[in-house]
Amino acid sequence: MKFDTVIIGGGLAGMACGIRIAEAGRSCAIVSQGQSAIHFSSGSFDLLGRMPDGREVTDPIAGITELEQTSQEHPYAVMGAERCLKYAQRVPELLRTSGISVLGDCRKNHYRVTPMGRSKATWLTIDGYLTEQEPGKLPFEKVCIVNVEGFLDFYPEFIAEEFRKYGVACCFETINFPDLEHIRKNPSEMRSANVARVFDHEKNLDALADKIRKVVPECDAVIVPAIIGINRNDSLGLLKSKIDIPLYLLPTLPPSIPGIKAQQTLQQCFRALGGEYFLGDTVRSADLENGRVKQVYTVNHGNIPFEADHFVLATGSFFSEGLVATPDRIVEPVFGADTVYASSRTEWYTLRFFDKQNYQAFGVKTDSALHVVKEGSSIDNLYCAGAGLVGFHPVQEGCGAGISLLSALYVADQILNSK
Amino acid sequence: MNIQQNTVSENNFEQCIKCTICTVYCPVAAVNPDYPGPKQAGPDGERLRLKRPDFFDSALKYCMNCKRCEVACPSNVRIGDIIQSARIKYGPKRNTSLRNYVLANTDLVGSLATPFAPIVNTAVALKPVRFMMDKVMAIDHRRIFPKYAHGTFTSWYKKHAAEAQAAFPKQVSYFHGCYVNYNNPQLGKDLIRIMNAAGYGVRLLDKEKCCGVALISNGLYNQAKRQAETNLASIRTAVNENDLDVIATSSTCTFTIRDEYPHLLSLKNDDVRDRVELATRYLYRLIQSGKVSFKFKEAEPIRVAYHTPCHMEKMGWSYYSIELLRMIPGVEVIVLDSQCCGIAGTYGFKKENYRTSQDVGEPLFRQIEASGADLVATDCETCKWQIEMSTTKPCENPLTIFASRLA
Amino acid sequence: MNNTYDVIIIGGGATGAGIARDCSLRGIKALLLERSDIATGATGRNHGLLHSGARYAVTDHESAEECIRENMILRKIAAHCVEETDGLFITLPEDGLDYQAIFVESCNKAGIRTEILDPDEAKRLEPSVNPDLIGAVRVPDGAVDPFRLTSSNILDAKAHGAEVRTYTEVMELIREQNRIIGVQAYDHRAKEERKFYARVVVNAGGIWGHGIAAKAGITVNMLPAKGALLIFGHRVNKMVLNRCRKPADADILVPGDTISLIGTTSSKIPYDQIDNMIITPEEVDILLREGEKLSPQLAYTRILRAYAGVRPLVASDDDPSGRTVSRGIVLLDHAQRDGMEGFITITGGKLMTYRLMAEWATDLICKKLGVNEVCRTAEIPLPGSVESEKEVERKMHGKPIAQKRSSIARHGALATEIDSRDSIKNSLVCECEEVSIGEVEYAMKNLSVNNLVDLRRRTRIGMGTCQGELCACRAAGLMGKRSPVCAKKAKEDIVSFLNERWKGMAPIAWGDTLRESEYTTWVYESVCGLSDETEKTSMP
Repeated sequence: MKFDTVIIGGGLAGMACGIRIAEAGRSCAIVSQGQSAIHFSSGSFDLLGRMPDGREVTDPIAGITELEQTSQEHPYAVMGAERCLKYAQRVPELLRTSGISVLGDCRKNHYRVTPMGRSKATWLTIDGYLTEQEPGKLPFEKVCIVNVEGFLDFYPEFIAEEFRKYGVACCFETINFPDLEHIRKNPSEMRSANVARVFDHEKNLDALADKIRKVVPECDAVIVPAIIGINRNDSLGLLKSKIDIPLYLLPTLPPSIPGIKAQQTLQQCFRALGGEYFLGDTVRSADLENGRVKQVYTVNHGNIPFEADHFVLATGSFFSEGLVATPDRIVEPVFGADTVYASSRTEWYTLRFFDKQNYQAFGVKTDSALHVVKEGSSIDNLYCAGAGLVGFHPVQEGCGAGISLLSALYVADQILNSK
Repeated sequence: MNIQQNTVSENNFEQCIKCTICTVYCPVAAVNPDYPGPKQAGPDGERLRLKRPDFFDSALKYCMNCKRCEVACPSNVRIGDIIQSARIKYGPKRNTSLRNYVLANTDLVGSLATPFAPIVNTAVALKPVRFMMDKVMAIDHRRIFPKYAHGTFTSWYKKHAAEAQAAFPKQVSYFHGCYVNYNNPQLGKDLIRIMNAAGYGVRLLDKEKCCGVALISNGLYNQAKRQAETNLASIRTAVNENDLDVIATSSTCTFTIRDEYPHLLSLKNDDVRDRVELATRYLYRLIQSGKVSFKFKEAEPIRVAYHTPCHMEKMGWSYYSIELLRMIPGVEVIVLDSQCCGIAGTYGFKKENYRTSQDVGEPLFRQIEASGADLVATDCETCKWQIEMSTTKPCENPLTIFASRLA
Repeated sequence: MNNTYDVIIIGGGATGAGIARDCSLRGIKALLLERSDIATGATGRNHGLLHSGARYAVTDHESAEECIRENMILRKIAAHCVEETDGLFITLPEDGLDYQAIFVESCNKAGIRTEILDPDEAKRLEPSVNPDLIGAVRVPDGAVDPFRLTSSNILDAKAHGAEVRTYTEVMELIREQNRIIGVQAYDHRAKEERKFYARVVVNAGGIWGHGIAAKAGITVNMLPAKGALLIFGHRVNKMVLNRCRKPADADILVPGDTISLIGTTSSKIPYDQIDNMIITPEEVDILLREGEKLSPQLAYTRILRAYAGVRPLVASDDDPSGRTVSRGIVLLDHAQRDGMEGFITITGGKLMTYRLMAEWATDLICKKLGVNEVCRTAEIPLPGSVESEKEVERKMHGKPIAQKRSSIARHGALATEIDSRDSIKNSLVCECEEVSIGEVEYAMKNLSVNNLVDLRRRTRIGMGTCQGELCACRAAGLMGKRSPVCAKKAKEDIVSFLNERWKGMAPIAWGDTLRESEYTTWVYESVCGLSDETEKTSMP
């Protein structure tokens, strides 16, 4: 099989990169070992929420400019603030044309609200989800938090506990219909995805709307967990049209409906642009020739290799096995690329779970153009994008999605500008 | 330290990190709450069964073995294999229901039916007969049976083709499967036509038995293993002694021989596995290598919607079939979103599964109806039956379409 | 509030719980005080091995005899806490077969049934065993769940009138001349001091008993010995595996419930480190290196966590240097030993002999109180062990098989008390260990659960492969439902629960465990937005 570009990894970075390349009319294949971490999405995309020293960031681009001076290893610093700004400005358009409608500004963070009611700084949020301009600045005074009976992955009481701190009165409502009763027969599958399937039926949306209408006189808004619209795109709009107070979604624990939707939307967009998406396949080895990758072999395709002019390593970090930890090493399994990590395992982590753990910043060594480095030299036609990059703490710094998207676009641009 | 460098053990379920992604993509759990779902039935359950075998839950039988959980799993856990292996290891040792026996023994039933095909076909289409089968055998009366051919593919081949095929300088071996042999010999003839056009003669294996997929899913493991051994022996003869590649027209047969034999029946096949492949992949390779090209005739433009069968999705090979279809002038290919059609071999024939089966397939049927396609293409015979029964569109193997347009 | 009792027992380990039960069955009004949760000391931090005594047969005949006697008793009275797996003492080529003969002879002398197996038979019985073995002896070892055992003792003690206060830490012993008449304790939940009085105060604080005795100005010379263990993600072996040689590091592999565990290392640590158990990479290496020899699979089986306990070894009274250590039960009547009335210390011993220790201590309490009742704890089954598993199963309907069997394994006959009326109650909170909403509610109501970590000890929530990744928030959600105060506490609880889980995962965080941790970080820190607000110094 021959493509212009082969991207290994079908998560946010891989797909953003693939869409850019396919958009430009180049042939592109994505090989992905299963579904990606987008399935745990909060419904928002972070760019930069905190500086490495813990300070809160209000203007991510200003923060990135500072990183350029203070943390030269950081992928944002490697790409440079100017480029970051350029790519950050392209992202909303890319997401929107793919079919994910988002709001936000790369010069000013807003706040998303978590399933436990906390506020987290973020960059872009998918339409329909509750956001705040300042932490605690909620768009209502009395809110009704609705949950499905027996759904354990959403926490009205925890949300209310936070909201009450800001003087918002909260009341609760639980819903139960025969169709929900039906799925609850299974003791483990009362998950967001299954619940959302129930609400893809209009009669259940109607019933939910009825229930919400009953609480209207007392409340000025209603919050519903993100269990609306898994197979249909119009469920949320339909529900909103049936009630006359504002309705906001809050994310749930995984699997995440906005994540599943985003994954599917991006994938469909990539395919519609002519891209080939190979799901459930693992790249096993690669042929290198004169410092370039010639082709890669996968488990499924065996003796038919994927040849390409350009390759992108977008396999992510540990979760997706882009990086593999053994008791004494951190390995990049596809190309055996150089990795950056602390040699003693005791330095990989502290004993406090929520600390900034060193292992989270381990990654694949690249040069400033994000070419992957192997045995000390850059590989010309192999780039690294996304969570596998070295030198940042995606969660603590609130920059995981931003790094994935921006590095993907940076890599895509370099590929498109070559040749 | 040399230990713990690699924790990919045979207990592959340990790699599950409870991310719940598989549960989103399980077509059965989405419609049937009696099924525990892939995470519970697979890795979670396996851990409990290792503690005590009597934690085995008979509800594992609702798994269709579509392997979509495996395709979705970011941790490479062989969830479907774990579930099917558990059924073999811990499930009821005897499965003697007449219904399951009949459904599983496609080979036997096929050879009994083909001589009387017109009668059998008419009979199973009759309401009273279907009603009887429903009541007596728990085969759902709404299910439409595939038609049997009058005379098998192999008997036709021996009579009319064997000699001519042997004359080709280049040869390939063909695993035709039960469907071609008993229901649709035309597909076998189509393959021969294509291969001949490419300069290859088509041979049959010394001895071919049903690949055993239906035996496995119906709990007849010993028989499945015996048949698998026969097939592997024939394949080895073809590959090792005659240096022939083995191709198949059914994605399920291909998948079973390559992957289910080692994973579920513990039969090693690594010496020949790479030489067994789907005919569309074989052709793709020939064409890509530049050794072969085809001439097509001018024909009416048609719109073909390709449906990816579950086992095709698992193998990752729909690309080849789609590329072949795209090569045909006048054929516009639409690739349907990959979704299970719900039939899962013999699963959907069973009365207790009929509703699940049709509910699983519903989104696919809607997609097909909305696609505006003239024709659906797919590499799996049971998907074809399901699609033809449940939608208004005809459904063919890509090779049939390919052959019909050859000049 | 009445704050006077016949006896105050300090320490909620198996021994303390056993004493509380024994006293209550003999009509003595007992109060048990525990500074944390039950079974948090050495009780819950060992192999969970139902010793046959074989391990001690050669070196310590008395302990061996005690073990086999208690082993047989526990099978009867604590059936639901015990798994009758049997054990193998295997000889590897490097060990030589000489030891086997002495071993078998010593076992027989102690009354421990043995059966010499040829290596092939051993491999057939236990497929995970090192195939290089040259000999094997089968003995009646088994597995015992220390949390269930302690909890059942507590339940029965309470049912017979005992009062149990967890999270109540003894700060001072109240002294009147040469007599201890009570204790002053701090209730960590109510955040207030309380005084309790009794005629006898029992120090059953395990390794912490050293400090408790010191409050009375008495020296009990304890030598803390740290033992580290590793838990594997699933059952590797069906039978307990031991090396047939002089006891050494990491030579026991025990299957327990859904997992297997290997241990232990042994190292002396300073007394001031007993609350600060950190597993070193060297300890992990020893455990794996030696463990692999028992069962080669361990080299590539996923490890769930590492932990360590501290054995309360007591220096013999006639050797103040501390070189002679007693591994047996030590019962000290401080009236006789130190001239301090109303105060006794029970220590040494092992989980296996908790009941016997309790019997000895209660006998002495009875003597002091002038009570003339005999011990019946060897005959009366613990709550949960009154019916066979089959009988219990017959009474339970409507639960899926795995859930039903898991809850019976944890609660025995009391599993029938778990609400399973509707599908909501049967919904799973913890999917790895099959813990339902009904079971969580049952535990919260009946088994003195104060936080998520307590809940884990009662139900195995968060003890599966995901180590709380899916269930911590679900369980917290249930706990937080009761009131806004509960909601705040439950949310904080998630943080300390995850810290507690991570502490055990960090020493072995590579491969899939590291992947799991990264994912858990995404879920809790990113999606949920939780953070650790506690001061860095007050790590639990």
